[in-house]
Amino acid sequence: MQKRVVYRSKLLPYLLVAPQIAITLIFFFWPSYQALESSFYVEDAFGFSRNWVGMQNYAELFADPGYLRSFRTTLIFSVSVAALTMSISLGLAVAANRVIRAATAYRTLLIWPYAVAPALAGVIWYFLMNPSLGIVAYWLKALGVNWNHYVNGDQALLLVIVAAAWKQISYNFLFFLAGLQSIPKSLIEAAAIDRASPARRFWTIVFPLLTPTTFFLLVINLVYAFFDTFALIHATTEGGPVDATSILVYRVYSTGFVGQDYGSSAAQSVVLMALVVGMTFIQFRYIERKVNY
Amino acid sequence: MANLSIRSLGKTYPGGVSAVRDVDIKIQDGEFIVLVGPSGCGKSTILRMIAGLETITTGDLDIDGRRVNDLEPGDRDIAMVFQNYALYPHMTVRANMEYGLKNEGLPKDEIAERIAEASRTLRLSDYLDRKPRQLSGGQRQRVAMGRAIVRKPKVFLFDEPLSNLDAKLRTQLRAELKALHARLNGTFIYVTHDQVEAMSLADRIVIMSEGKIEQIGTPMDLYLRPATRFVAEFIGTPAMNFIDATVGSDGHSLQIGEQMIAADAPIHAPAGTLVSVGVRPEHLHRGQDHAMHVKLKTGFVEQLGADTIVHGEASTNGTASPLGVRLQGVHMPEPGSELQLGAALSDLHFFDTASGQRLNT
Amino acid sequence: MVENRPFLTVLTHAALIIGVLFLCFPVWMALVASTHSADALSSSPIPMWFGDQGWQNYSLLISRGLPEAGGVPLGRMMLNSAIMALGITFGKIAISIISAYAVVYFKFPFRMVFFWMIFITLMLPVEVRILPTFDVVTKMGLLNSYAGLIVPLIASATATLLFRQFFLTIPDELVEAARIDRAGPLRFFWDILLPLSRTNIAALFIILFIFGWNQYLWPLLVTTDEGLYTIVMGIQRMVNSGESLPVWHLIMGTAVLAMIPPVLVVIAMQKLFVKGLVESEK
Repeated sequence: MQKRVVYRSKLLPYLLVAPQIAITLIFFFWPSYQALESSFYVEDAFGFSRNWVGMQNYAELFADPGYLRSFRTTLIFSVSVAALTMSISLGLAVAANRVIRAATAYRTLLIWPYAVAPALAGVIWYFLMNPSLGIVAYWLKALGVNWNHYVNGDQALLLVIVAAAWKQISYNFLFFLAGLQSIPKSLIEAAAIDRASPARRFWTIVFPLLTPTTFFLLVINLVYAFFDTFALIHATTEGGPVDATSILVYRVYSTGFVGQDYGSSAAQSVVLMALVVGMTFIQFRYIERKVNY
Repeated sequence: MANLSIRSLGKTYPGGVSAVRDVDIKIQDGEFIVLVGPSGCGKSTILRMIAGLETITTGDLDIDGRRVNDLEPGDRDIAMVFQNYALYPHMTVRANMEYGLKNEGLPKDEIAERIAEASRTLRLSDYLDRKPRQLSGGQRQRVAMGRAIVRKPKVFLFDEPLSNLDAKLRTQLRAELKALHARLNGTFIYVTHDQVEAMSLADRIVIMSEGKIEQIGTPMDLYLRPATRFVAEFIGTPAMNFIDATVGSDGHSLQIGEQMIAADAPIHAPAGTLVSVGVRPEHLHRGQDHAMHVKLKTGFVEQLGADTIVHGEASTNGTASPLGVRLQGVHMPEPGSELQLGAALSDLHFFDTASGQRLNT
Repeated sequence: MVENRPFLTVLTHAALIIGVLFLCFPVWMALVASTHSADALSSSPIPMWFGDQGWQNYSLLISRGLPEAGGVPLGRMMLNSAIMALGITFGKIAISIISAYAVVYFKFPFRMVFFWMIFITLMLPVEVRILPTFDVVTKMGLLNSYAGLIVPLIASATATLLFRQFFLTIPDELVEAARIDRAGPLRFFWDILLPLSRTNIAALFIILFIFGWNQYLWPLLVTTDEGLYTIVMGIQRMVNSGESLPVWHLIMGTAVLAMIPPVLVVIAMQKLFVKGLVESEK
């Protein structure tokens, strides 16, 4: 946690942490407290007056079918994004770990999408899938699929899932590759001497040893799908059609900024914060136990 | 150059663990003092308190008559060589040696002169522009020493500086270190857990156990007249043998099994006291005509060429205790055979079994 | 690998090539579309090879921008993005390296309280507390300013934790040697700790630059002045521009321009990037 020998200085350490602490207090703790506070109030549209309503905002929230549907949408969205991303990138990482020839070239070609902003990933896929001129929509039509995410909510959800997963593959790929490379080669060789086939070796040796990486990525991907994809959705479907792609974090925004319902938006913020804290907590509990070691 | 006075020094860590208790040492100008003991005995803590890297809980530390308890390490006029060298990895050898002098604000030509001199002494002149990672372990150690020398400190502190090196290099650097001490005539305080290193380097050895000083003395004091059983066991390889005995009724003799040994001076313990009789493996000789004799049942034999070390069990006093003997030249005792051994009265050390204190004068 | 199976090797390469195609294809199409005229993109299927309008499209975008999106030249937006990204990057590195230094190398009352205060910010992404944060920024008069774009985003636990982790791996003896060499805390930081952190700073720089450049929601909220738009959030205006049909060739051109700086950084400094990414998540 700390050095054996430390400097003794009364003022200096406080000066050193001051900038970070000040920004944290002003832009993290104060707003979070504000969100918590205003979730117990109802404010009129102009912000002139507000009334204490206790848990009413929360009660209304969980009585609102739209909000509950948003929960469901978020769940489908994030689980799909995580599953899609992780399966593809694990496959790619295993393949990349095998090749010797052109290994660097493959790696370069597989990691650059990390740098693409979620909003841009969304816009590009939005273009590819555009019902009237998108090339992918055109191919789908040739296969007999009538693609129109402007009308069909499920298709819109699928679109944002694919775009979100596409952007996140690089990240997962890098971590799976690092995980694979940290598995001692002697272990694989021992398994080979024990006559385990490559497939068997993967499922009985490699995959179990990757559990910590997998778990870590699962949490990261869920957090990504919960929050970072806001930009992707906002820049494309804007939550539509008819709320089909309105995930929780998007709803915080639309309720607050578009709907001007501060109390409800604040209550949603608090619910989301509780969710993140819960996820982070689970992550730490698990990491402490060092999955599979 | 300076003398040091350490008076009832103590260190207690927050949480109540006491690492060092009641340590008193007076160190003369130009002395080479070695602190030795098993790991965790507090020797490094004392060194670090002298350096100012650990706060002093109780007692006083004076360098040249000035109390330095509360001075920063940089203001104590000391230099230190660390076990892992602690060279600044991003700086060249020259920059490493210069750093302290620059912080002190010495003029440039003075710095250059000191570095030139130190690098000549330590044969580092060709490496001044290299980074530490481009040097071998021995070279790094010399740079660490160079960094200490250029500061011309009052006291040099060494924290196990040779223990990261291989055996051959260690022996070589030991000789260099001794020569360096003679040349600089500085006050050296040196910590090690290796008793051979302590014996070969020290003017005086401070031997410690569990935070307390067991004995202070020249290497030969410690070898010939260990003050406690701990010191007797710690100094010398193979370690001293111990045989159980009791003080005879006349207060002048010891009973070892059937054997009665008359001591040449009174034993300072009442009759019946349990005594451990210590005798070094090199002080046991074959034959019958010795003041104390013992039979050795041969076990493992180490043939070292110049010596033969025979390990086995002593069978003098009914109970079997481990015993080792160092015989000069080549011997080939049969495993399981018995050797008749003995030792002179002057080579026997008597310790109170309960307290571990030396009984004969 | 352990044994040599030609079939597996072929399969491996096939999988990798499909993966590369899947990842590269969308951007390929964006590049292609940005070189055509609006007419060429009006009928399906659209061309899959470059057209000849690239020069016109890009020069129009960079110098004049899109009237539908407020008519801000993209050059201006990219400048804003660069200022924001660099501000966030340097700000984060600066404040987190000194706070990590304080937490690791000093003993002072409330040390752990501060550490946990920083650590907990890991759990609260800006998206979760948009409204109240916006309120704070408004009250401080930071709307429509570079400070408003940068300052709220420079507190981050990630960078602090990374530096802390790194400092803990530096041998204790180094600070001890420095103290004996009369280096006080500031001198030790400047002469020894900072040079030793060079690689970590560089790796973090890449990650944070991408993070900063790709900010979307925050600039969307705090800027109403078109002169302060960043390119990543600016593209949204073009896609959802209301009545008029989206001009896809120009939107794709914007997307390409917006992704060039961060993608170049990743490719050019791949090793550092991988190091930064993997280590900042430990």
